Amino acid sequence: MIRFQNISKTYDGGKIFVVREFDLEIRKGELLVLLGESGCGKTTTIKMINRLVEPTSGKIFIDCVDIGSIDKIGLRRGIGYVFQGVGLFPHMTVNENVATVLRLLDWPEQKIRDRVDELLEMVNLPPDRYRDRRPRQLSGGQRQRVGFARALAARPKVMLLDEPFGELDPITRDALQAEFLRIHEKLGLTAVMVTHDMTEALLLAGRIAVMRSGRILRVGTPHELMADPRDGYVAALTEGPKRKADQLEAIARGQASLP
Amino acid sequence: MQDELARQLALLPSRLGWHLLLTIVALGAGILISVPLAIFALRFRPLQGPLLALASIFQTVPSLAMLALLVVILSTIGFVPAIIALTLYSILPVLRNTVTGIAGVDPAIVEAARGVGMTDWQMLLKVQFPLAAPVIIAGIRTSAVWVVGIATLSTPVGQVSLGNYIFEGLQLRNNLAVLTGVIAAAALAIVLDLLIRLMEVAAAARNRTLSLVAVAGLACVVGGGVAPLLRTGPDTFVGSKTFTEQYILADVIETRLRAAGFNVGKKQGMGSTILFESLANGSIDVYVDYTGTIWSNIMKRHDVPSAQEMLGEMSEFLEKHYSITTVGALGFENAYSLAMRPDRAEELGIKTINDLARHARGLSIGGDYEFFGRPEWIKVRDAYGLGFSEIRSLDATLMYSAVKNGDVDVITAFSSDGRITAYDLLVLADPKKAFPPYDAVLLVSSKAAKKKGFVDALRPLIGSISNEQMRTANMMVDVEKRTPGAAAGALIQGLFSEKK
Repeated sequence: MIRFQNISKTYDGGKIFVVREFDLEIRKGELLVLLGESGCGKTTTIKMINRLVEPTSGKIFIDCVDIGSIDKIGLRRGIGYVFQGVGLFPHMTVNENVATVLRLLDWPEQKIRDRVDELLEMVNLPPDRYRDRRPRQLSGGQRQRVGFARALAARPKVMLLDEPFGELDPITRDALQAEFLRIHEKLGLTAVMVTHDMTEALLLAGRIAVMRSGRILRVGTPHELMADPRDGYVAALTEGPKRKADQLEAIARGQASLP
Repeated sequence: MQDELARQLALLPSRLGWHLLLTIVALGAGILISVPLAIFALRFRPLQGPLLALASIFQTVPSLAMLALLVVILSTIGFVPAIIALTLYSILPVLRNTVTGIAGVDPAIVEAARGVGMTDWQMLLKVQFPLAAPVIIAGIRTSAVWVVGIATLSTPVGQVSLGNYIFEGLQLRNNLAVLTGVIAAAALAIVLDLLIRLMEVAAAARNRTLSLVAVAGLACVVGGGVAPLLRTGPDTFVGSKTFTEQYILADVIETRLRAAGFNVGKKQGMGSTILFESLANGSIDVYVDYTGTIWSNIMKRHDVPSAQEMLGEMSEFLEKHYSITTVGALGFENAYSLAMRPDRAEELGIKTINDLARHARGLSIGGDYEFFGRPEWIKVRDAYGLGFSEIRSLDATLMYSAVKNGDVDVITAFSSDGRITAYDLLVLADPKKAFPPYDAVLLVSSKAAKKKGFVDALRPLIGSISNEQMRTANMMVDVEKRTPGAAAGALIQGLFSEKK
C-alpha cells in the first residue's frame, strides 16, 4: 500500500543524513510502528508520506502512485494526520475542528453536520455536549479524541500518527490506545505510527520498524522482535519491557524480589 | 466667557467632523496598504527587515515637514496632502503588528493546518489571521491614536481639523480655543481607542456579538461625526498667514465677499510660501501679502526702488509669471523693523541700525520663525555688518513681551503691530534702506479674478486702511484681547478716524 523506495533526506547538502537509504513496504490494513530514540529520523520519515517534508532522493508510492507526481494538497486531504500535541485550532469549536477537511473538500452543510456527529460518537464524545466546546475547555484526552475525529473525518485510507499518546497520563493513554485499536480494526485503515515507547509499540503494532541514525535496523512483528532481535540495539530495546513484564507477573503471583 | 465658549463650540461640529474623516480615511488606507504588504513580507523573509525599516523611517520625519513636503510635491493644499501624510504615519504600527502577529502563531498549529491539506491562502484566512487578529487590532489601535494626534497638524496646510482651535488659539492667545481643541482631540482619541480595544477583546475571546457591538459603536461615532460635513461647503477661500493682522484682514475680506453673495471659507494659519503657492495654483482665491515679501522672496530682487515703483513692478511680475491679479494696496505698511526697549537703547546710545551694529556682538536678537531664513535678513545683516551673540526664533506673538521683559535685546517687530505703541518700544531707523517697503496688497488668483463681482467686491478696500487704523485694530486683539472678528467689524465700520 505504501512503499518507500530508497528514500534519503539531508538538510545540508549531504553532510548529515536524517534518513538514509530507507526501503520499506507497508501493507494494506496494517498498523506499522516506526520506533526509535529522538533524532533517529522517524518523524521526518512519516512527514514524507504526506509531503510536509520532501525527500532529497528516492520515491514514495501510495497504491502504486508516486506521490511526488501528484498534487500535495489533495494528497494531504486524503490522509488522516494525528499530530504530536494534537494541533487543534484554538479559535474553532470542536465541530469546526472536526469538519476542517470536510469544508476544504466542499461537502454540503448537512452532510458535514451528520458526519461530525457520527465521528464524535465514534470517539465517545457525545455530540450534543461537545460539539460547541472550544479546545481550551477540553481535557488532554478529550482533545486527542477530537484530533482523531478530525483525522478520520474524510474517510481516509491512510492514517499517520506522530506520537499521538505522548502527552497523556497513563490511564487516559491506556483507554485511547484501546479505542484506537478498535477503530483501526473497524475501519480497516492502513496506519503508520511513530513512537519512542517500545512497550506501546509491542502492544499495538502489527509490525515494528526499528530505526537508528536514519536507517532501519529491523522490521518484524512484535513477537519476532522479542524472540529474535538479531541486533544488539534491538535486543536492548526489548529488554526493558520484557523485564518489567516479568517483574509485574512476579508481583501478581506474590513472588516479588528485589531487582 | 459663556459667549466665548459658545462661539468655540459652534465651530466644533465642522472641525471635529473633518478631523474624524481624516482619521478614518487615513486609518482605512493605512490598513489596506499594510496588510497586503505584511503578507508579502511574510512570504519573502529577507524583505521583512527592510520593509519595516522603511516604514520606521517615515515615522521619524517630523509630521509638519512631511506635510509641507507633500504640499510642494503635489502642488495642492488641503485634504489630499493631509491624507497622504496621515496614511504614511498610520502604516508602521499596523504593518509591524500584522507581521509579528502572524509570525507569532504557534508553529505547531501552522503545521497542523498544512498537514490537513490547507493551501497557503486557506491557512492565512482560516487560521493565521483569526489567531493573529488581537495583535493586529492592537496595532490599529495605536495607529488610530497617533493619527488623531498628527491630524491636528493639517491646519497649516489648509485642511480644517481640530488643529484650527490650537493654532488660532496660540496665535491669538485665546486659551479657551486651545483648550477646546486639545480636549476635543483627546476625547476623540480616547473614544476611538476604547471602541477598537473592544474589538480587540472580542477578537481574542472569539465573541461574535461583542465584535458586532464594537463595529456598530464605531459606525455610530464616525457617522455622527462626519454628518455635519455633508452640508455643502464653501467654494471660495480666503487665506491668511499666522499672525493677528492676517486673521483680522481675512475676516474683513470674508465679510465683504459674503455680502457680495459668495460662499466663503477661510484657510488660516498657513506659512507664507505655502500660501503663495496656493494662490498660484488656485487652492485659495485671495489673501493679503506685502510688497517687500514678494519682492525679496518670490522675485528675488535686492535693489530697493520707491514703494510706488515696487508695487508696479510686482503687479506686472505676478500677472506675467503666476497669473495673479494685484487688486491694489490696502493703504498701510507692515514692515520688518528692528525694535528695542527705549531704556536699553538709550543706555547704549543706539538710535539707528548703524549704532546697533557697533554693539551687536554683546546683544541677542529674536525674530519670528520665518525671518532668519529670508533674504531680507541676509541683506540687512550684510549691509550693516550685524553679528549678534545670539539669534533666536520666537513665536511672533511672544516676541513683544520677550523684548519688554529683557529676555531678548532686539526683535524684528512688525511695524503695524499695536504692541510697539502699547509696550512703548523704540523702532530703530534704517538709513541705508536695507529693508524694502512692505505695503499690504490684496492678491487674487486668476480663477477668482474671473468670477463675476469678485474683484469689484474687494476694490473698496483699496487704500481704505491707514497705518494707524491697522495698528489700532491689531491692538484690539493683541492687547485688549478682543476677537479678530470684532476688530474686523470695527475696521469695516471705520470707527477710527485717521490720526496724523
